Amino acid sequence: MDDLRTLRAWRAEVPEPGPEWVVPERRRLLTRMRERRRTLGRRLLVVGALGTAAALAVVVLRPQPQVEVPGIVSTAPIVRLDSGVVLARAAEVAGGRESAQVPLPTQWHYTRTLDKQPNADTTKTVEQWLRYDGRQAASYDENGDLSVGPEGDPRDPGDDDLSPQQYDAKLRALPTDPVKLLAKITADPHWIRGAREKGVPHRVPPAAIRGYHVIMLYLSRYGSMPPRLESAMFRALALIPGVRIEQGVRDAAGRAGLGVWLETDEDRPSRRYTVLDPVTYRYWGTRTVWLRDEFLGRKDVPALPKGSVWSTALVASTIVDRPGDRG
Amino acid sequence: MIAEDLGSIDDAELIRRSRRDPEAFAGLFDRHAPAMRRYVARRLGPSLADDVVSDTFLTAFRRRDRYDSGHPDARPWLYGIAARLISRHRRVEIRFYRALVRTGVDEIAEPYAERVDDRVAAEQAGLAAALAGLSAGDREVLLMVAWADMTYEDVARALGIPLGTVRSRLHRARARTRLALGGSNPVTTREESLDG
Repeated sequence: MDDLRTLRAWRAEVPEPGPEWVVPERRRLLTRMRERRRTLGRRLLVVGALGTAAALAVVVLRPQPQVEVPGIVSTAPIVRLDSGVVLARAAEVAGGRESAQVPLPTQWHYTRTLDKQPNADTTKTVEQWLRYDGRQAASYDENGDLSVGPEGDPRDPGDDDLSPQQYDAKLRALPTDPVKLLAKITADPHWIRGAREKGVPHRVPPAAIRGYHVIMLYLSRYGSMPPRLESAMFRALALIPGVRIEQGVRDAAGRAGLGVWLETDEDRPSRRYTVLDPVTYRYWGTRTVWLRDEFLGRKDVPALPKGSVWSTALVASTIVDRPGDRG
Repeated sequence: MIAEDLGSIDDAELIRRSRRDPEAFAGLFDRHAPAMRRYVARRLGPSLADDVVSDTFLTAFRRRDRYDSGHPDARPWLYGIAARLISRHRRVEIRFYRALVRTGVDEIAEPYAERVDDRVAAEQAGLAAALAGLSAGDREVLLMVAWADMTYEDVARALGIPLGTVRSRLHRARARTRLALGGSNPVTTREESLDG
């Protein structure tokens, strides 16, 4: 008997699966692909279609509800603060922090993020380890096993995200004079080039708007930011016209903080707050609130009815020695 | 996008498109996932196979910008990724082989199989014992050839090893399986019969 023929015949009964397997498994793969792009991709959420596209990664996967709209979250009374005063105080507090050590390239940046999608009942927790040099990523898979990815660049083509090391290098090169800081940030070709994705027209937002978003992005990466620079970030923010701050804005962890947003001339269906800790002024998360119905695809049923809320929360961000460590 | 006829374009083109249109990558899944699911299930059982296949395509998706478009068939690339993921479950794979040797019941084939006669059962137990005793590298080559219908060139590309190494690993692995099947058949030493 031919050994290979015998081997080929063995377990040959195991069938090749049909559409009943392919369809749900394909859907699962697409969800995982999109999820990845959502967590890793597109750091600079500029105004316009991009922010919405990122928020809706999960929404569009599901059948649209015919009549009922997802639970509209009532908005607690909000108090508008004097942004100049708040930002001056934030600059003072940030400037008094202790400076952090520069991590080694082989250490890992661990983050735990909560994400509450506009139409989801539950809040999702995403844990991720990104090696400091950005060449490897790790996360827990669906079975609860730590899965360390292959070495290489984990980003999608066109992604404008940087490695933790690159972020820190960028930050260390910035001046701590607020005027010069804002000028340098708005002139940074990396953020002018931005992320590129098929089907999303590329446009460069005006300098002030771009400056605002880049500062918010940098503030979300606290931990290794030099205190004097963080202080300057808040002072630079105060130079941007239209920066508004409200009290009692909640992130996905339910924490009520300071909601910073940018008022522009553009009429947008939603408002995106960056939520800061009201005591330490550290980045907590984001809250996007839909001020009117937003239609995507279907014209009769809004994909995001007025009152929808998408929130996120960064509940841990620290440098650890190994993937799986939580600091 | 799904409605488009993808039958006429090769894997390399599909991967190239997915760089601009990420969801085009699902076309590669439709094309190769069912056979890969069968292949992995034959080694690790159905529940692990689902995860391994999904992880394989997710990993492939992440690395799609590094795909060498000179290869129109992505199977070796995909099975190479799968091989590394399967190797993480080596103990599971070997446990199935050993359980068959010990109990005479193949937990992987059993849910689908008709009752096998004693001669076949003995052959299978012999194969299982041989597979359990092979080095991981030899087993990988043997099963890629036998169960994934790969050519030597495909296997070399999948595992990133020279063609000569594929031949020597296969030679070693087949010597073990022949021994386990209780004797040799001169015909089976002709490699050309499987190369293609």
